[in-house]
Amino acid sequence: MDFQAIHDHLRARGAPGLIAADEPRAPNKKEKDPGRSGHSFVTVEPGKWIEFLTLCRDDPRLGFELLIDVTATDPKADDPNLWVNAELLSVSHKHRLSIKTLVPKERPVIASATAVYRAAQWHERECAEMFGITFEGHPDPRNMLLPDDWVGHPMRKDYEFPKEYHGISCE
Amino acid sequence: MTDTAHKGSIQLSEESRVLPSGEREFMMDVSTADLEVNMGPQHPATHGVMRVLIRTDGELVTGAQPHLGYLHRCAEKIGESVEWLQYLPYTDRYDYLSAMNNNLGYSLAVEALMSVEIPRRATMLRTICAELNRIASHLIAFGTYGLDIGAFTPFFYAFREREWIQSLFEKICGARLTYSYIRIGGVFNDAPPGWLKEIAHFCDVFEEKWKEYYTLLIENHIFVQRTANVGVVPREMAFDFGLTGPMLRGSGVDFDLRRDLPYMIYGEIWDAGAFRIPVARGEKGTLGDCWDRTWVRVVEMMESLGIVRWCLDAIEDGPVIGEIPKVIKVPAGEAYVGIENPRGELGHYVVSDGGKVATRCRVRGPSFTNLAVLEDLLPGTLLADSIAIIGSIDIVVGETDR
Repeated sequence: MDFQAIHDHLRARGAPGLIAADEPRAPNKKEKDPGRSGHSFVTVEPGKWIEFLTLCRDDPRLGFELLIDVTATDPKADDPNLWVNAELLSVSHKHRLSIKTLVPKERPVIASATAVYRAAQWHERECAEMFGITFEGHPDPRNMLLPDDWVGHPMRKDYEFPKEYHGISCE
Repeated sequence: MTDTAHKGSIQLSEESRVLPSGEREFMMDVSTADLEVNMGPQHPATHGVMRVLIRTDGELVTGAQPHLGYLHRCAEKIGESVEWLQYLPYTDRYDYLSAMNNNLGYSLAVEALMSVEIPRRATMLRTICAELNRIASHLIAFGTYGLDIGAFTPFFYAFREREWIQSLFEKICGARLTYSYIRIGGVFNDAPPGWLKEIAHFCDVFEEKWKEYYTLLIENHIFVQRTANVGVVPREMAFDFGLTGPMLRGSGVDFDLRRDLPYMIYGEIWDAGAFRIPVARGEKGTLGDCWDRTWVRVVEMMESLGIVRWCLDAIEDGPVIGEIPKVIKVPAGEAYVGIENPRGELGHYVVSDGGKVATRCRVRGPSFTNLAVLEDLLPGTLLADSIAIIGSIDIVVGETDR
Protein backbone atom coordinates (compact mmCIF):
# COMPACT_ATOMS: atom_id res chain seq x y z
CA MET A 1 0.00 0.00 0.00
CA ASP A 2 1.16 3.53 -0.62
CA PHE A 3 1.03 6.21 2.04
CA GLN A 4 -2.46 7.39 1.08
CA ALA A 5 -3.89 3.87 1.29
CA ILE A 6 -2.21 3.25 4.66
CA HIS A 7 -3.59 6.50 6.00
CA ASP A 8 -7.10 5.75 4.72
CA HIS A 9 -6.96 2.32 6.26
CA LEU A 10 -5.84 3.76 9.60
CA ARG A 11 -8.77 6.20 9.47
CA ALA A 12 -11.20 3.42 8.58
CA ARG A 13 -9.95 1.32 11.46
CA GLY A 14 -10.30 4.30 13.81
CA ALA A 15 -6.65 4.10 14.76
CA PRO A 16 -6.23 5.33 18.36
CA GLY A 17 -4.59 8.72 18.63
CA LEU A 18 -4.21 9.35 14.89
CA ILE A 19 -4.16 13.12 14.34
CA ALA A 20 -3.35 13.81 10.71
CA ALA A 21 -1.30 12.95 7.69
CA ASP A 22 1.52 15.36 6.94
CA GLU A 23 2.36 15.32 3.27
CA PRO A 24 4.90 17.35 1.31
CA ARG A 25 3.48 20.36 -0.51
CA ALA A 26 4.78 22.84 -3.03
CA PRO A 27 5.67 26.35 -1.88
CA ASN A 28 2.88 28.91 -2.20
CA LYS A 29 4.05 32.51 -2.44
CA LYS A 30 0.54 34.03 -2.16
CA GLU A 31 -0.07 32.52 1.25
CA LYS A 32 3.59 32.89 2.24
CA ASP A 33 3.84 29.14 2.65
CA PRO A 34 7.45 27.98 2.17
CA GLY A 35 6.16 24.47 1.42
CA ARG A 36 7.51 21.22 2.71
CA SER A 37 9.73 18.78 0.89
CA GLY A 38 10.49 15.15 1.60
CA HIS A 39 8.27 12.26 2.56
CA SER A 40 4.85 11.81 4.15
CA PHE A 41 4.24 10.78 7.74
CA VAL A 42 1.38 10.53 10.20
CA THR A 43 1.14 12.41 13.47
CA VAL A 44 -0.13 10.67 16.57
CA GLU A 45 -1.11 11.70 20.10
CA PRO A 46 1.68 10.83 22.56
CA GLY A 47 -0.84 9.35 25.01
CA LYS A 48 -1.95 6.71 22.47
CA TRP A 49 1.58 5.84 21.26
CA ILE A 50 1.47 2.20 22.37
CA GLU A 51 -2.09 1.58 21.18
CA PHE A 52 -1.22 3.02 17.78
CA LEU A 53 1.92 0.93 17.37
CA THR A 54 0.08 -2.20 18.51
CA LEU A 55 -2.60 -1.64 15.87
CA CYS A 56 0.06 -1.14 13.19
CA ARG A 57 1.70 -4.41 14.16
CA ASP A 58 -1.43 -6.53 14.55
CA ASP A 59 -3.67 -5.29 11.75
CA PRO A 60 -3.38 -7.89 8.96
CA ARG A 61 -3.58 -5.32 6.16
CA LEU A 62 -0.91 -3.10 7.67
CA GLY A 63 1.28 -5.93 8.97
CA PHE A 64 4.21 -3.83 10.22
CA GLU A 65 6.43 -6.62 11.55
CA LEU A 66 9.56 -4.52 11.93
CA LEU A 67 10.17 -1.45 14.01
CA ILE A 68 13.07 0.04 12.11
CA ASP A 69 13.83 3.07 14.20
CA VAL A 70 12.78 5.13 17.19
CA THR A 71 14.41 8.50 17.49
CA ALA A 72 13.71 12.06 18.53
CA THR A 73 14.29 15.50 17.10
CA ASP A 74 14.77 18.83 18.77
CA PRO A 75 13.48 21.18 16.05
CA LYS A 76 14.62 24.47 17.63
CA ALA A 77 16.09 25.72 20.89
CA ASP A 78 12.98 27.80 21.61
CA ASP A 79 10.46 25.20 20.42
CA PRO A 80 8.33 23.96 23.34
CA ASN A 81 8.16 20.41 21.97
CA LEU A 82 10.40 17.53 21.06
CA TRP A 83 9.43 15.17 18.25
CA VAL A 84 9.52 11.44 18.77
CA ASN A 85 9.81 9.66 15.43
CA ALA A 86 9.25 6.02 14.66
CA GLU A 87 9.75 4.17 11.42
CA LEU A 88 7.85 0.97 10.63
CA LEU A 89 8.41 -1.53 7.85
CA SER A 90 6.22 -4.33 6.62
CA VAL A 91 8.03 -7.28 5.12
CA SER A 92 4.86 -9.04 3.95
CA HIS A 93 3.22 -5.99 2.35
CA LYS A 94 6.41 -4.18 1.34
CA HIS A 95 5.50 -0.75 2.64
CA ARG A 96 6.73 1.75 5.20
CA LEU A 97 5.21 4.23 7.60
CA SER A 98 6.80 7.15 9.41
CA ILE A 99 5.13 8.23 12.62
CA LYS A 100 5.69 11.38 14.61
CA THR A 101 4.43 12.54 17.97
CA LEU A 102 5.15 15.64 20.03
CA VAL A 103 6.17 15.60 23.66
CA PRO A 104 6.59 18.83 25.67
CA LYS A 105 10.17 19.70 26.62
CA GLU A 106 8.99 20.60 30.10
CA ARG A 107 7.90 17.05 30.79
CA PRO A 108 9.26 14.79 28.04
CA VAL A 109 7.62 11.50 28.96
CA ILE A 110 6.23 8.83 26.66
CA ALA A 111 5.39 5.17 27.13
CA SER A 112 8.05 2.67 26.11
CA ALA A 113 7.31 0.62 22.99
CA THR A 114 9.47 -2.25 24.20
CA ALA A 115 6.43 -4.42 24.95
CA VAL A 116 5.23 -4.05 21.36
CA TYR A 117 8.56 -4.32 19.57
CA ARG A 118 11.69 -5.49 21.36
CA ALA A 119 13.68 -3.54 18.78
CA ALA A 120 12.63 -0.36 20.58
CA GLN A 121 14.75 -1.21 23.61
CA TRP A 122 18.13 0.04 22.41
CA HIS A 123 16.76 2.87 20.29
CA GLU A 124 14.84 4.21 23.28
CA ARG A 125 17.88 3.99 25.52
CA GLU A 126 19.87 6.04 23.04
CA CYS A 127 17.01 8.48 22.62
CA ALA A 128 16.62 8.87 26.38
CA GLU A 129 20.24 9.80 27.03
CA MET A 130 20.57 12.06 23.99
CA PHE A 131 17.31 14.00 24.39
CA GLY A 132 16.36 13.49 28.01
CA ILE A 133 13.11 11.74 27.17
CA THR A 134 11.78 9.33 29.78
CA PHE A 135 10.36 6.14 28.34
CA GLU A 136 7.95 4.91 30.96
CA GLY A 137 8.09 1.19 31.58
CA HIS A 138 11.44 0.66 29.88
CA PRO A 139 12.95 -2.54 31.30
CA ASP A 140 16.60 -1.41 31.19
CA PRO A 141 16.89 2.40 31.20
CA ARG A 142 20.69 2.66 31.33
CA ASN A 143 22.80 4.89 29.13
CA MET A 144 23.53 3.34 25.74
CA LEU A 145 26.46 5.20 24.25
CA LEU A 146 27.36 7.85 26.83
CA PRO A 147 29.21 7.17 30.10
CA ASP A 148 26.96 6.71 33.12
CA ASP A 149 28.11 9.99 34.69
CA TRP A 150 27.54 12.18 31.64
CA VAL A 151 25.80 15.47 32.41
CA GLY A 152 23.17 16.84 30.06
CA HIS A 153 21.51 15.60 26.89
CA PRO A 154 23.83 16.30 23.95
CA MET A 155 21.28 16.26 21.14
CA ARG A 156 19.19 19.03 22.67
CA LYS A 157 19.65 22.28 20.79
CA ASP A 158 20.29 24.19 24.05
CA TYR A 159 23.01 21.74 25.17
CA GLU A 160 26.12 23.38 26.54
CA PHE A 161 29.32 21.62 25.65
CA PRO A 162 31.30 20.58 28.74
CA LYS A 163 34.54 22.41 29.47
CA GLU A 164 36.21 19.37 30.94
CA TYR A 165 35.54 15.73 31.61
CA HIS A 166 37.29 14.00 34.55
CA GLY A 167 40.13 16.50 34.43
CA ILE A 168 40.52 16.27 30.63
CA SER A 169 40.10 19.67 29.05
CA CYS A 170 37.66 19.79 26.14
CA GLU A 171 38.56 23.28 25.00
CA MET B 1 35.70 -12.68 53.13
CA THR B 2 32.36 -11.69 51.72
CA ASP B 3 30.38 -14.05 49.63
CA THR B 4 30.96 -12.21 46.37
CA ALA B 5 34.69 -11.79 46.79
CA HIS B 6 35.51 -15.39 46.02
CA LYS B 7 32.88 -16.10 43.42
CA GLY B 8 34.10 -18.72 41.05
CA SER B 9 37.49 -19.00 42.68
CA ILE B 10 39.26 -22.05 44.00
CA GLN B 11 39.77 -21.90 47.75
CA LEU B 12 41.71 -23.93 50.22
CA SER B 13 39.42 -25.27 52.88
CA GLU B 14 40.45 -25.67 56.47
CA GLU B 15 40.24 -29.42 56.18
CA SER B 16 43.36 -31.26 55.21
CA ARG B 17 44.72 -34.76 55.54
CA VAL B 18 48.16 -36.25 55.69
CA LEU B 19 49.05 -38.49 52.77
CA PRO B 20 51.06 -41.71 53.25
CA SER B 21 54.07 -39.86 51.81
CA GLY B 22 53.92 -37.42 54.68
CA GLU B 23 52.67 -34.49 52.59
CA ARG B 24 49.59 -32.62 53.66
CA GLU B 25 46.81 -32.55 51.13
CA PHE B 26 44.31 -29.72 51.31
CA MET B 27 40.78 -30.38 50.24
CA MET B 28 40.07 -28.29 47.21
CA ASP B 29 36.70 -26.69 47.16
CA VAL B 30 35.69 -25.38 43.74
CA SER B 31 32.98 -22.82 43.91
CA THR B 32 30.48 -23.26 41.09
CA ALA B 33 28.89 -19.87 41.51
CA ASP B 34 28.38 -17.71 38.42
CA LEU B 35 31.43 -15.90 37.15
CA GLU B 36 31.26 -12.59 35.36
CA VAL B 37 33.74 -12.19 32.52
CA ASN B 38 34.40 -9.08 30.50
CA MET B 39 34.79 -9.96 26.85
CA GLY B 40 36.41 -6.87 25.46
CA PRO B 41 36.67 -3.92 25.06
CA GLN B 42 39.89 -5.08 23.38
CA HIS B 43 38.85 -8.49 22.21
CA PRO B 44 39.69 -9.54 18.64
CA ALA B 45 36.29 -11.11 18.10
CA THR B 46 34.44 -7.89 18.75
CA HIS B 47 36.04 -6.33 15.63
CA GLY B 48 36.58 -3.01 17.28
CA VAL B 49 36.03 -1.80 20.79
CA MET B 50 32.97 -3.34 22.32
CA ARG B 51 32.55 -4.97 25.69
CA VAL B 52 30.21 -7.84 26.41
CA LEU B 53 29.72 -8.60 30.07
CA ILE B 54 29.20 -12.34 30.08
CA ARG B 55 27.94 -14.27 33.06
CA THR B 56 29.11 -17.84 32.96
CA ASP B 57 28.32 -20.99 34.83
CA GLY B 58 31.32 -23.10 33.93
CA GLU B 59 31.31 -23.30 30.14
CA LEU B 60 27.71 -22.20 29.92
CA VAL B 61 26.75 -18.59 29.27
CA THR B 62 23.87 -17.58 31.51
CA GLY B 63 23.70 -13.89 30.71
CA ALA B 64 25.18 -11.33 28.35
CA GLN B 65 25.08 -7.57 28.38
CA PRO B 66 26.75 -5.61 25.58
CA HIS B 67 28.26 -2.28 26.58
CA LEU B 68 28.69 0.12 23.70
CA GLY B 69 29.94 3.63 23.27
CA TYR B 70 33.71 3.16 23.22
CA LEU B 71 33.79 4.47 19.66
CA HIS B 72 31.09 7.10 20.00
CA ARG B 73 32.06 10.16 17.97
CA CYS B 74 28.82 12.17 18.05
CA ALA B 75 28.16 11.70 14.32
CA GLU B 76 24.58 12.90 14.63
CA LYS B 77 25.56 16.01 16.55
CA ILE B 78 28.23 16.81 13.97
CA GLY B 79 25.51 16.42 11.32
CA GLU B 80 23.69 19.35 12.94
CA SER B 81 26.79 21.54 13.09
CA VAL B 82 28.32 21.32 9.61
CA GLU B 83 26.94 22.08 6.17
CA TRP B 84 25.12 19.39 4.19
CA LEU B 85 28.03 18.53 1.94
CA GLN B 86 30.62 18.84 4.70
CA TYR B 87 28.90 16.03 6.56
CA LEU B 88 29.53 13.56 3.74
CA PRO B 89 33.05 12.53 4.88
CA TYR B 90 31.63 11.73 8.32
CA THR B 91 29.26 9.20 6.74
CA ASP B 92 32.34 7.29 5.55
CA ARG B 93 33.33 6.79 9.10
CA TYR B 94 30.46 5.05 10.73
CA ASP B 95 30.39 1.85 8.74
CA TYR B 96 33.93 2.15 7.46
CA LEU B 97 33.80 -1.20 5.67
CA SER B 98 31.07 -0.05 3.33
CA ALA B 99 31.70 3.66 3.01
CA MET B 100 30.24 3.84 -0.51
CA ASN B 101 26.89 2.61 0.76
CA ASN B 102 26.91 5.16 3.56
CA ASN B 103 27.66 7.97 1.10
CA LEU B 104 24.81 6.68 -1.02
CA GLY B 105 22.32 6.49 1.84
CA TYR B 106 23.06 10.01 2.99
CA SER B 107 23.04 11.44 -0.54
CA LEU B 108 19.70 9.81 -1.34
CA ALA B 109 18.20 11.18 1.87
CA VAL B 110 19.32 14.74 1.13
CA GLU B 111 18.22 14.39 -2.50
CA ALA B 112 14.77 13.33 -1.26
CA LEU B 113 14.43 16.85 0.14
CA MET B 114 15.81 18.58 -2.94
CA SER B 115 14.55 18.59 -6.49
CA VAL B 116 17.63 17.54 -8.38
CA GLU B 117 17.90 15.25 -11.34
CA ILE B 118 20.59 12.61 -11.07
CA PRO B 119 22.23 11.82 -14.43
CA ARG B 120 21.87 8.21 -15.50
CA ARG B 121 25.61 7.63 -15.74
CA ALA B 122 25.98 8.84 -12.16
CA THR B 123 23.32 6.36 -11.00
CA MET B 124 25.15 3.58 -12.84
CA LEU B 125 28.48 4.50 -11.28
CA ARG B 126 26.80 4.71 -7.89
CA THR B 127 25.34 1.24 -8.32
CA ILE B 128 28.63 -0.25 -9.49
CA CYS B 129 30.52 1.25 -6.55
CA ALA B 130 27.88 0.33 -3.99
CA GLU B 131 27.80 -3.27 -5.17
CA LEU B 132 31.58 -3.61 -5.37
CA ASN B 133 31.72 -2.22 -1.87
CA ARG B 134 29.14 -4.78 -0.78
CA ILE B 135 31.41 -7.51 -2.12
CA ALA B 136 34.40 -6.01 -0.29
CA SER B 137 32.40 -5.75 2.92
CA HIS B 138 31.14 -9.34 2.72
CA LEU B 139 34.71 -10.48 2.01
CA ILE B 140 35.75 -9.00 5.34
CA ALA B 141 32.67 -10.41 7.02
CA PHE B 142 33.33 -13.99 6.03
CA GLY B 143 37.14 -13.73 6.15
CA THR B 144 37.28 -12.42 9.69
CA TYR B 145 34.48 -14.74 10.72
CA GLY B 146 36.67 -17.66 9.74
CA LEU B 147 39.50 -16.04 11.67
CA ASP B 148 37.32 -15.69 14.77
CA ILE B 149 36.60 -19.38 14.95
CA GLY B 150 40.02 -20.63 13.98
CA ALA B 151 40.14 -20.87 10.18
CA PHE B 152 43.10 -18.71 9.28
CA THR B 153 43.45 -19.25 5.54
CA PRO B 154 40.13 -17.91 4.15
CA PHE B 155 41.01 -14.53 5.63
CA PHE B 156 43.98 -14.17 3.28
CA TYR B 157 41.96 -15.30 0.30
CA ALA B 158 39.29 -12.75 1.16
CA PHE B 159 41.78 -9.93 1.57
CA ARG B 160 43.43 -10.73 -1.74
CA GLU B 161 40.24 -9.84 -3.63
CA ARG B 162 39.34 -6.98 -1.30
CA GLU B 163 42.71 -5.42 -1.99
CA TRP B 164 41.90 -5.47 -5.69
CA ILE B 165 38.53 -3.76 -5.11
CA GLN B 166 40.25 -1.14 -2.98
CA SER B 167 42.77 -0.46 -5.75
CA LEU B 168 39.89 -0.03 -8.19
CA PHE B 169 38.27 2.45 -5.83
CA GLU B 170 41.55 4.24 -5.41
CA LYS B 171 41.67 4.75 -9.17
CA ILE B 172 38.23 6.31 -9.31
CA CYS B 173 38.29 8.47 -6.18
CA GLY B 174 41.78 8.45 -4.70
CA ALA B 175 40.87 6.81 -1.40
CA ARG B 176 41.01 3.20 -0.32
CA LEU B 177 38.70 3.18 2.68
CA THR B 178 36.87 6.45 3.24
CA TYR B 179 35.77 7.36 -0.25
CA SER B 180 33.33 10.30 -0.12
CA TYR B 181 32.85 9.43 -3.78
CA ILE B 182 29.07 9.46 -4.01
CA ARG B 183 28.03 13.07 -3.55
CA ILE B 184 24.72 14.86 -3.23
CA GLY B 185 23.58 15.10 -6.85
CA GLY B 186 25.69 12.35 -8.36
CA VAL B 187 29.31 11.27 -8.06
CA PHE B 188 32.24 13.64 -7.94
CA ASN B 189 34.42 12.16 -10.61
CA ASP B 190 33.91 10.24 -13.82
CA ALA B 191 35.53 6.84 -14.19
CA PRO B 192 39.08 7.11 -15.54
CA PRO B 193 39.76 5.61 -19.00
CA GLY B 194 39.78 1.83 -18.94
CA TRP B 195 38.31 1.62 -15.43
CA LEU B 196 35.11 -0.08 -16.55
CA LYS B 197 37.16 -2.66 -18.49
CA GLU B 198 39.13 -3.38 -15.33
CA ILE B 199 35.89 -3.92 -13.45
CA ALA B 200 34.78 -6.38 -16.12
CA HIS B 201 38.09 -8.22 -15.77
CA PHE B 202 37.68 -8.24 -11.99
CA CYS B 203 34.21 -9.75 -12.35
CA ASP B 204 35.54 -12.60 -14.50
CA VAL B 205 38.37 -13.40 -12.11
CA PHE B 206 36.24 -13.03 -9.00
CA GLU B 207 33.70 -15.52 -10.28
CA GLU B 208 36.42 -18.18 -10.30
CA LYS B 209 37.88 -17.14 -6.96
CA TRP B 210 34.49 -17.17 -5.32
CA LYS B 211 34.29 -20.93 -5.71
CA GLU B 212 37.37 -21.19 -3.53
CA TYR B 213 35.65 -19.47 -0.62
CA TYR B 214 32.82 -21.86 -0.90
CA THR B 215 34.98 -24.95 -0.65
CA LEU B 216 37.47 -23.40 1.78
CA LEU B 217 35.04 -22.21 4.39
CA ILE B 218 31.36 -22.62 3.72
CA GLU B 219 31.42 -26.34 2.93
CA ASN B 220 34.33 -27.00 5.28
CA HIS B 221 33.33 -29.74 7.71
CA ILE B 222 34.93 -28.06 10.73
CA PHE B 223 33.29 -24.75 9.92
CA VAL B 224 29.91 -26.40 9.53
CA GLN B 225 30.36 -28.15 12.87
CA ARG B 226 31.19 -24.86 14.56
CA THR B 227 28.34 -22.83 13.07
CA ALA B 228 25.40 -25.10 12.23
CA ASN B 229 22.69 -25.18 14.92
CA VAL B 230 24.54 -22.41 16.79
CA GLY B 231 22.93 -19.05 17.57
CA VAL B 232 19.57 -19.80 16.04
CA VAL B 233 17.43 -16.72 15.36
CA PRO B 234 13.88 -17.85 14.57
CA ARG B 235 11.71 -15.78 12.24
CA GLU B 236 9.59 -14.25 15.03
CA MET B 237 12.68 -13.24 16.99
CA ALA B 238 14.14 -11.59 13.89
CA PHE B 239 10.94 -9.58 13.44
CA ASP B 240 10.70 -8.65 17.11
CA PHE B 241 14.25 -7.30 17.20
CA GLY B 242 13.89 -5.48 13.90
CA LEU B 243 16.72 -7.37 12.22
CA THR B 244 17.48 -6.48 8.62
CA GLY B 245 19.80 -7.52 5.84
CA PRO B 246 21.61 -10.89 5.91
CA MET B 247 20.45 -11.41 9.51
CA LEU B 248 16.82 -11.33 8.37
CA ARG B 249 17.40 -13.39 5.25
CA GLY B 250 19.46 -15.80 7.33
CA SER B 251 16.28 -16.43 9.33
CA GLY B 252 14.44 -17.42 6.18
CA VAL B 253 12.66 -14.14 5.49
CA ASP B 254 12.64 -13.27 1.79
CA PHE B 255 13.11 -9.52 1.94
CA ASP B 256 15.58 -7.19 0.35
CA LEU B 257 15.05 -3.44 0.00
CA ARG B 258 16.70 -3.47 -3.41
CA ARG B 259 13.86 -5.61 -4.75
CA ASP B 260 10.94 -4.92 -2.45
CA LEU B 261 11.18 -1.15 -1.97
CA PRO B 262 13.50 -0.38 -4.89
CA TYR B 263 15.53 2.80 -4.97
CA MET B 264 17.74 4.15 -7.78
CA ILE B 265 17.70 1.66 -10.68
CA TYR B 266 17.47 -1.55 -8.67
CA GLY B 267 13.87 -2.10 -9.80
CA GLU B 268 15.00 -2.05 -13.39
CA ILE B 269 17.90 -4.39 -12.68
CA TRP B 270 15.63 -6.80 -10.85
CA ASP B 271 13.17 -6.80 -13.76
CA ALA B 272 16.04 -7.60 -16.09
CA GLY B 273 16.76 -10.64 -13.91
CA ALA B 274 20.35 -9.64 -13.14
CA PHE B 275 20.25 -10.72 -9.50
CA ARG B 276 18.45 -12.99 -7.08
CA ILE B 277 17.90 -12.74 -3.33
CA PRO B 278 19.53 -15.60 -1.44
CA VAL B 279 17.34 -16.74 1.44
CA ALA B 280 18.55 -19.28 3.98
CA ARG B 281 16.83 -22.65 4.14
CA GLY B 282 18.52 -24.20 7.14
CA GLU B 283 20.56 -26.46 4.88
CA LYS B 284 23.19 -27.58 7.40
CA GLY B 285 21.23 -27.32 10.61
CA THR B 286 18.40 -25.25 11.98
CA LEU B 287 17.00 -22.33 10.00
CA GLY B 288 18.51 -19.08 11.28
CA ASP B 289 21.81 -20.43 12.60
CA CYS B 290 25.24 -18.88 12.16
CA TRP B 291 25.96 -20.99 9.09
CA ASP B 292 22.85 -19.70 7.34
CA ARG B 293 23.82 -16.08 7.89
CA THR B 294 27.33 -16.63 6.56
CA TRP B 295 25.98 -18.55 3.59
CA VAL B 296 23.67 -15.64 2.72
CA ARG B 297 26.62 -13.22 2.74
CA VAL B 298 28.81 -15.41 0.59
CA VAL B 299 26.09 -16.10 -1.98
CA GLU B 300 25.15 -12.41 -2.04
CA MET B 301 28.61 -11.58 -3.34
CA MET B 302 27.83 -13.41 -6.58
CA GLU B 303 24.48 -11.64 -6.91
CA SER B 304 26.21 -8.27 -6.50
CA LEU B 305 28.52 -9.32 -9.30
CA GLY B 306 25.47 -9.82 -11.52
CA ILE B 307 24.32 -6.25 -10.77
CA VAL B 308 27.77 -4.85 -11.57
CA ARG B 309 27.82 -6.73 -14.89
CA TRP B 310 24.37 -5.47 -15.82
CA CYS B 311 25.50 -1.91 -15.16
CA LEU B 312 28.67 -2.39 -17.20
CA ASP B 313 26.52 -3.42 -20.15
CA ALA B 314 24.01 -0.62 -19.74
CA ILE B 315 26.28 2.31 -18.86
CA GLU B 316 26.41 5.17 -21.33
CA ASP B 317 28.43 8.35 -21.57
CA GLY B 318 27.08 11.49 -20.01
CA PRO B 319 27.42 13.86 -17.09
CA VAL B 320 28.10 12.39 -13.64
CA ILE B 321 26.69 15.08 -11.38
CA GLY B 322 23.50 17.11 -11.50
CA GLU B 323 23.07 20.84 -11.12
CA ILE B 324 24.29 21.38 -7.58
CA PRO B 325 25.34 24.74 -6.16
CA LYS B 326 28.62 25.05 -4.24
CA VAL B 327 26.80 25.76 -1.00
CA ILE B 328 23.76 23.54 -0.80
CA LYS B 329 20.57 24.95 0.66
CA VAL B 330 18.02 22.26 1.27
CA PRO B 331 14.29 23.17 1.22
CA ALA B 332 12.52 22.80 4.55
CA GLY B 333 11.10 19.36 5.14
CA GLU B 334 11.90 15.93 6.40
CA ALA B 335 12.57 12.56 4.84
CA TYR B 336 13.52 9.06 5.85
CA VAL B 337 15.46 7.00 3.34
CA GLY B 338 16.48 3.43 4.03
CA ILE B 339 18.84 1.56 1.74
CA GLU B 340 20.18 -1.97 1.71
CA ASN B 341 23.62 -1.72 3.25
CA PRO B 342 25.75 -4.91 3.40
CA ARG B 343 24.67 -5.28 7.02
CA GLY B 344 21.01 -4.39 6.69
CA GLU B 345 18.89 -1.31 6.43
CA LEU B 346 20.88 1.87 6.70
CA GLY B 347 18.41 4.64 7.38
CA HIS B 348 18.94 8.37 7.28
CA TYR B 349 16.28 10.61 8.75
CA VAL B 350 17.05 14.17 7.75
CA VAL B 351 15.20 17.32 8.75
CA SER B 352 15.89 20.68 7.18
CA ASP B 353 14.61 24.12 8.12
CA GLY B 354 15.61 25.48 4.73
CA GLY B 355 19.09 26.49 5.73
CA LYS B 356 22.67 25.43 5.00
CA VAL B 357 22.85 23.15 8.03
CA ALA B 358 20.67 20.17 8.94
CA THR B 359 18.23 20.40 11.84
CA ARG B 360 18.47 16.68 12.40
CA CYS B 361 20.61 14.04 10.81
CA ARG B 362 19.64 10.70 12.27
CA VAL B 363 21.58 7.61 11.30
CA ARG B 364 19.90 4.28 11.80
CA GLY B 365 22.73 1.83 11.63
CA PRO B 366 21.98 -1.82 10.88
CA SER B 367 24.79 -3.10 13.12
CA PHE B 368 23.33 -1.31 16.13
CA THR B 369 19.91 -2.88 15.79
CA ASN B 370 21.24 -6.30 14.82
CA LEU B 371 23.53 -6.38 17.83
CA ALA B 372 20.60 -5.98 20.25
CA VAL B 373 19.69 -9.59 19.57
CA LEU B 374 22.86 -10.65 21.41
CA GLU B 375 21.28 -10.22 24.85
CA ASP B 376 18.78 -12.92 23.94
CA LEU B 377 20.99 -15.08 21.76
CA LEU B 378 23.91 -15.72 24.09
CA PRO B 379 22.26 -17.08 27.26
CA GLY B 380 22.16 -20.85 27.16
CA THR B 381 25.03 -21.28 24.71
CA LEU B 382 28.58 -22.42 25.33
CA LEU B 383 31.25 -19.82 25.90
CA ALA B 384 33.16 -20.92 22.79
CA ASP B 385 30.01 -20.49 20.71
CA SER B 386 29.61 -16.90 21.85
CA ILE B 387 32.53 -15.99 19.58
CA ALA B 388 30.83 -17.71 16.66
CA ILE B 389 27.57 -15.89 17.40
CA ILE B 390 29.07 -12.41 17.75
CA GLY B 391 31.04 -12.94 14.54
CA SER B 392 27.97 -14.07 12.62
CA ILE B 393 26.10 -10.85 13.44
CA ASP B 394 28.86 -9.06 11.49
CA ILE B 395 28.95 -5.76 13.32
CA VAL B 396 31.08 -2.74 12.60
CA VAL B 397 31.60 -0.96 15.90
CA GLY B 398 32.07 2.36 14.16
CA GLU B 399 28.43 2.10 13.23
CA THR B 400 26.96 0.72 16.43
CA ASP B 401 28.50 3.65 18.30
CA ARG B 402 28.50 6.28 15.53
